[in-house]
Amino acid sequence: MIACVAVVGHQNNPLYIQSFTEADDALKLHHIVHCSLDVVDERVNNPKKSGPTLNETFLGLLYPTENYKVYGYLTNTKVKFILVTTDLDVRDADVRNFFRRFHAAYIDAVSNPFHVPGKKITSRTFAERVSTIVKSFGLSSAG
Amino acid sequence: MEEYPEEWRTPPVCLISVVGLAEHEHHRLISTHLLSEQPPTNTLALPDLSKLLHLLSKKPKQPPDATSSSSPAAGILKRDWLIKHRTRVPSVVAALFSSDQVYGDPAQWLQVCSDLDLLKAAIKPRNIKLLVVVVNDTLSDHNDVYEERFIALRKRAELDSKYILTFNPNTASDLQISLNRLASIFGELSLAYYRDEGRRIKTRVEKKTLNVNSIDLNIRYCFKVAVYAEFRRDWVEALRFYEDAYHMLREMIGTSTRLPPIQRLVEIKTIAELLHFKISTVLLHGGKLKEAITWFHQHNASYKKLVGAPEVVFLHWEWLSRQFLVFAELLDTSSVPAQSISSLVLATADRPLTESEFHPSYYYQLAAHYLKEKRSSLEIALSMSESASELDSSADSVAPSVYIGQFDRLLEQGDTVSKQPLTDEDYTRYVIAEGKRFQDTYEILGLLKKSCESYGNHKARRMGSFCGFQMAVEYFALDDFNNAKQLFDGVANQYRQEGWVTLLWEVLGYLRECSRKQGIVRDFVEYSLEMAALPVSSGTDVQPFSFKECGPAGPPTLSQREIIHKEVFELVSREVGLASVEDNNCIKISRDNPLHLEVDLVSPLRLVILASVAFHEQIIKPGVSTLITVSLLSQLPLTVEINQLEIQFNQSECNFVIINAQRPLLAATNDGVQVHRAESTPLILITNRWLRLTYEIKSEQSGKLECISVVAKMGPHFTICCRAESPASMEDLPLWKFEDRVETFPTKDPALAFSGQKATHVEEPDPQVDVDLGVSGPALVGESFMIPVTVASRGHDIYSGELKINLVDVKGGGLFSPRETEASSMESHHVELLGIVGPEEEELGPGEIEKIQQSFGLVSIPFLKSGESWSCKLEIKWHRPKPVMLFVSLGYSPLNNESTAQKVHVHKSLQIEGMAAIAVGHRFMLPFRRDPLLLSRIKPVSDSEQLASLPLNETSLLIVSAKNCTEVSLQLQSVAIDNEDGDSERVCSVQHGGENLSGPSLLMPGEEFKKVFTIVPKVESSKLGLGTVCLRWRRDCGIDDHSGSCKTEAWVVTKHKLPDVEVELSPLVVSLECPPYAVLGEPFTYMIKIWNQTKLLQEVKFCVADAQSFVLSGVHNDTVFVLPKSKHILCYKVVPLGSGLLQLPKVTVTSVRYSAEFQASNTASTVFVFPSKPDFKVAADVGKREMESIASE
Repeated sequence: MIACVAVVGHQNNPLYIQSFTEADDALKLHHIVHCSLDVVDERVNNPKKSGPTLNETFLGLLYPTENYKVYGYLTNTKVKFILVTTDLDVRDADVRNFFRRFHAAYIDAVSNPFHVPGKKITSRTFAERVSTIVKSFGLSSAG
Repeated sequence: MEEYPEEWRTPPVCLISVVGLAEHEHHRLISTHLLSEQPPTNTLALPDLSKLLHLLSKKPKQPPDATSSSSPAAGILKRDWLIKHRTRVPSVVAALFSSDQVYGDPAQWLQVCSDLDLLKAAIKPRNIKLLVVVVNDTLSDHNDVYEERFIALRKRAELDSKYILTFNPNTASDLQISLNRLASIFGELSLAYYRDEGRRIKTRVEKKTLNVNSIDLNIRYCFKVAVYAEFRRDWVEALRFYEDAYHMLREMIGTSTRLPPIQRLVEIKTIAELLHFKISTVLLHGGKLKEAITWFHQHNASYKKLVGAPEVVFLHWEWLSRQFLVFAELLDTSSVPAQSISSLVLATADRPLTESEFHPSYYYQLAAHYLKEKRSSLEIALSMSESASELDSSADSVAPSVYIGQFDRLLEQGDTVSKQPLTDEDYTRYVIAEGKRFQDTYEILGLLKKSCESYGNHKARRMGSFCGFQMAVEYFALDDFNNAKQLFDGVANQYRQEGWVTLLWEVLGYLRECSRKQGIVRDFVEYSLEMAALPVSSGTDVQPFSFKECGPAGPPTLSQREIIHKEVFELVSREVGLASVEDNNCIKISRDNPLHLEVDLVSPLRLVILASVAFHEQIIKPGVSTLITVSLLSQLPLTVEINQLEIQFNQSECNFVIINAQRPLLAATNDGVQVHRAESTPLILITNRWLRLTYEIKSEQSGKLECISVVAKMGPHFTICCRAESPASMEDLPLWKFEDRVETFPTKDPALAFSGQKATHVEEPDPQVDVDLGVSGPALVGESFMIPVTVASRGHDIYSGELKINLVDVKGGGLFSPRETEASSMESHHVELLGIVGPEEEELGPGEIEKIQQSFGLVSIPFLKSGESWSCKLEIKWHRPKPVMLFVSLGYSPLNNESTAQKVHVHKSLQIEGMAAIAVGHRFMLPFRRDPLLLSRIKPVSDSEQLASLPLNETSLLIVSAKNCTEVSLQLQSVAIDNEDGDSERVCSVQHGGENLSGPSLLMPGEEFKKVFTIVPKVESSKLGLGTVCLRWRRDCGIDDHSGSCKTEAWVVTKHKLPDVEVELSPLVVSLECPPYAVLGEPFTYMIKIWNQTKLLQEVKFCVADAQSFVLSGVHNDTVFVLPKSKHILCYKVVPLGSGLLQLPKVTVTSVRYSAEFQASNTASTVFVFPSKPDFKVAADVGKREMESIASE
C-alpha cells in the first residue's frame, strides 16, 4: 500500500505531499520524504554509481526504512517525485507504471495557466487524480 | 558488540599445552615463539603433569554421546563450551623431558615411562595429540644408549618417530631451528586434532538429520564443526556449518517444546544472534560486504516478525536493536574500504541494495529506532506489572544457566546450591526488573549521535538533521534544554532553507517550549511569532495530524497559529508581566525588562513584519520636501495594531514617529526624535496586506539620505526593529514564496514598486555667487593671454572659497598628443597655464595659490561678504594654434562652520580659440637678367621634397613676408634671420637688402610685410641651413598704448625656420645686359654674356628671334664654343621702332653638353622705350633702383 506521495521542487521544497495512511504518522512520512532527498542528491551527483539508471527518470529504490520503502523519480525539469510504500515486496514495473501516471497528472496540473511554476500545487483535481492513481497501485499490473 | 564474551568476538586461536621442565625457561621461549607465529597459537604452559591431569579431569562429564540421543538435551549450546576450547582444552600436549631423564639412569627412565602412561591415559578420551620433546640441555654425549632408549621411548609413547623431537636450547641458532621445528609440528598436530574432532562430529550430524527430537543436538554439532573449522581457518566450511546451524535453529521455532514459550524464543533468538554474528564476521572477514548485508537482511526479515509474548515484547525490540547495532559496529570496524562500496553493483535481481545500506549510519539509526520501541514497550510492561519491590525480590535469585540463552533460579539450601527451572511468569518478572536498570535514553542518544556523525561523513545532511532532531527530542524529554535547543536550532535552519514548513513547525514548537521552560522571553517571543507566521495548512492538503504526533507545537493548522498569535500578543501587550499560571516561569516583559527584536534581511522573522521604504524621487533638492512611502507587511494570522512607528534615517534629524491617533499617546516617547506625526486611521496590519503610509520629508543636508530601519512599537515594552528594504531589490518572502498567495505591490504606484529605493540623493543648495570669465576674442599663439575671472557674490557669503582651473582639450584627452611628446618633451603642453595674477596686479603669494600645474590650478579666495566681488587673471600661453576648454569651478561654503562644511559649487566653462598671429612666408629669387644654369633644376627627378637650389658664389635674393592673420592690428618690431651656426659667414653670407626698421611698424589685419635679403652661398653643399626668421611683434593696443594693461605686454617672438637649400656650382651663367630704358629711334647695345665656369669646352647654340618693335643687327642663329673659365659675349645693336614697354628680341641659348635651353623671361626681356629723351629730376641711381624694385614685383 502506498503510504505517501510527494512532489519536491527545484530548491528541494515540497510542492505537494499527501499521505494515505490511517495511522498518525503523517509527520513521520514528511521526515522520510525529506531524508530521501539525500539519496536523490547522491544518485544525481554520482551517476556512475547507478550505472543502469543513467539518463533514466526512474531512480529506483532510494532507501528502506524500518517499515517503509522509498522510491524516487526525477523529471527532466528536475522535479522529484517520491513514493513511500509499506509493501515489502514491490514489483519494479508497478512502481514505474505508477510514476508514469503520476508524472502525467503532474504535467496536467502544472499546465494549468493559473498555476505559477515553483509554487505549491493546490489543484483539487490533481489531488483527486493522485488518489485514484494511488488506489489503483499494484492492481494495474494484473490488468 | 561489547556485550558478547571475548571468545565470541575474536577469531579462534589454536591452543596447545607444554608440560614439564617448568624450572627452565623453555616454556616462555616456546609460548612467545608460538604466539608470534602466523597464525598465532596460544600455549598453555603447565609446570608438571599433575596440573594437566587436574585440568582435564576437572571437566564435568562428557556431553551425551551418540548412544544417548533419546534423552533430550537441556539446551542448545553450553555457555562455556567455546571458552573451554579456547583456554582449557589443548589440541596438542607436548611433554618435555630433559635428555638426562631419558638417557640417564634407569630410575629416571622409569619415571619418564610412568609419566607418559599417565599422560596418555588423560588425553586419550579427548583425542588430544601427544608430542614428546627431549630437551638436550647438557652437552654430554649418550651415543651408546641413544638408539636403544629412543626406540623404547617411541614405543612407550606409541608415537611416530617424527613426533619425538630433540630441543636444543644451547646455542642461538640451534634454539631457533628447534623452535621452528616445534612450531611446524605443533601446527600440524593441532590441525589434525581439529580436523579429527570436526570429522567425528560431522558424522554425528549426518547420522542425525532425520531425528526431530535431536534437532538441538544437531545445531550444537553443526556449531562445533564450524568452530573446529574456524580453528583450522577453513572459513568456507565454517560458514557452511554456521549457516546450517542457523537454518536449523530457525526451523526449531515452531517445533520445539522443551522450554516454556517465552524462554524458548529467548533462547532461540540468543543463539540465532550469536550464529548470525559469527556468520557476519566470517563474511566481512572475507571481504564479502554485499553478501554480509544481504545476509543481515535475511536475518532481520526472518526474525522481525517473531515478536513473542506481548508482556515481553520489549525483549524483542531490544534484541532487534542489538542486531542493528552489532551489524553497524561490524561495518564500522570492517576493513572493507569505502571505495569498493561505490564500485558495487547495487541492483541485484531479487533484492536491490541502496547506497545507505552500505553505511553504518543506517544501522545505527535503526538500532536507535528499535531501542525507542523497546523503551516504550518496557514502559508499558512496567506500568502493567506489579510493584517494584516484588520485582526486585523475584529477580534476586535468577542467574544464567549453563546453556546459552537460558536462566535458572538458584535455590540455596544450606551450603549447596541447586538450580531450578523458571516459569515464564518468573522469567517475565526477572527481565522487567533487569530492564529497569538500563538507561535506554542515553543509549539511544549515543546511537543517534553515531548515526548523525556517520551521515555527516558522507554528506547526507537531511538524514543527519533527522537524527539530530530525534536526539533533540530525547534531550527535550530529559529536560536537557540547552542541548535540545542547540540541536533543534540546527535542524530548524535546514528546514527553513528548503521550505519544509510542517517539519519546521514541529521543530519550532519544541524550541518554543524549550525557551518557555528556560524562561528566555526573547526566544519565546521570536519562535512564537515565527510559528504564527508560518504558511502551514494554507493549501488544500489538510493532513490528519494528531496532536500527539506534532509534539508541543500542536497540529499545524491555522487555528493553532491563531492560538499562538493570541498568546504571544497577550504577553507583549500586557503592562504587567505575564507570569504563566501553571509553570510560574519568569516569562515577562516589563519596564525593567523590555523586549526589542531585530529583523534583518536573513531573519526568519521577516515573515512577521517586512518593511519596504521607497522615496518617490531619486534626487531631491535640499529643503524641498518629497514623498516617502513606508509599507509594512505581516503574515501573522490575525490583525496586529501598532502603537507607534519610528522611521530612522542615516540623517538622524530626518527621523520621525508616526503615532496611532486612535491609541492614547504613550507617555514615554524617545527623546531623540522631534517630529511626531499622528495618523488618524489606525495602524493596523492585516494578514498579507500592505499597510502603506506616505509622508512628506525634507532634508537640509546634501548627500545620501537613506532609510535605515522602521521600529514598530507593538506593546508598552515591546518593539520590533525592521531593517528597511527597497522595493526594487526586495527578495521574496522565504517559505511564503512557495505558497499560492495574493501578491500585491508595496506601493500604490506599481512603477515605484519596481524602481523605488530606500535611499535618495539630496542635492547641494543653489549657488548665489557669479563666476565671470571676461574674454574677448581669440588668443594668439605665443603671447601670454590674460583671462580675467571675477567672483561676485549675490547673496551668499563666501567662506573658504576655492577656485579650481582646468584646461582641457576640446576634443577630449590631454593637451598634448603622445606623438609629439617624444619629439619635444619640454613643450609637452600646447597650451599652458602660466600663472594667476591677483586683483591688485601683483602675483599672488604662495599661500593663495595652492597648486599650479600646466593644465590645472587651484586658488583660494579670501572671505567675501554678500555683494562683494573678487577677481584675478589667468595667464595662459598657447604654443600651438588650438581650441581649448577652460573650466573654472568655485567651491565655497556659505556658512562659517567648518564641521558641517557643506560646499556649494559653481561651474563655468569657456572655449577659447588659439590662433597663429602671423603667417611667415619666404621666396628665393635670382638677380635680374642673370641666370646661372642649375643642373639640379633640369634633371627629370622632380620630387616634391627636392630642396631649392642656389648657385654657388652667385647672389640670390630671399624675400621674407609676414602677414597678419588676426583680426587685431599688430606692432612689428623687427624681422631678422638668426643663424644658429657661428661660422655662417664663411659658408654663406646673408645680408639685409635694405636698412632696419626704425621703429615698430603697424601691421593691420590682413596686411603683409616684406623684407628682402641677399644670399651668397660660398660653399658647395647638398644641404645648407639658412637659419631662422625671427619676428618680434605684439598686440597693438590702440591709440593710447602707453598706458593701461598693454604696458607690461612683452614683445612676442615668432620664429620661422627657413628651409635648407642645395648649393651647386652652375656650369654656365647667362646674363642679359641692356640699358635700363631706351629712346625711340636711338640704337643701344643688347649683350648676351655666357660664362663658362667649367674646365671644359662648352658648345652653345643660340638663336635670336626678330621682334616687331626692334631692328637688330647680327647673326640670328649660330653655334659657338666657349672656352673653359672664360666668357663669350654676343653683342647686338638694337634700334627701337616704337615706344612704351616693348619686348626685346627673344634670345634662346642652348647648351649642347647639358641639353639645357635658356630663354629669357618676358619680364627680363622687356624694356621701356621713351618716345624722346626724358628729363629726369632725381638722380639716375635712384631711378635705377625703382626700376629694379618694380621689376621684382
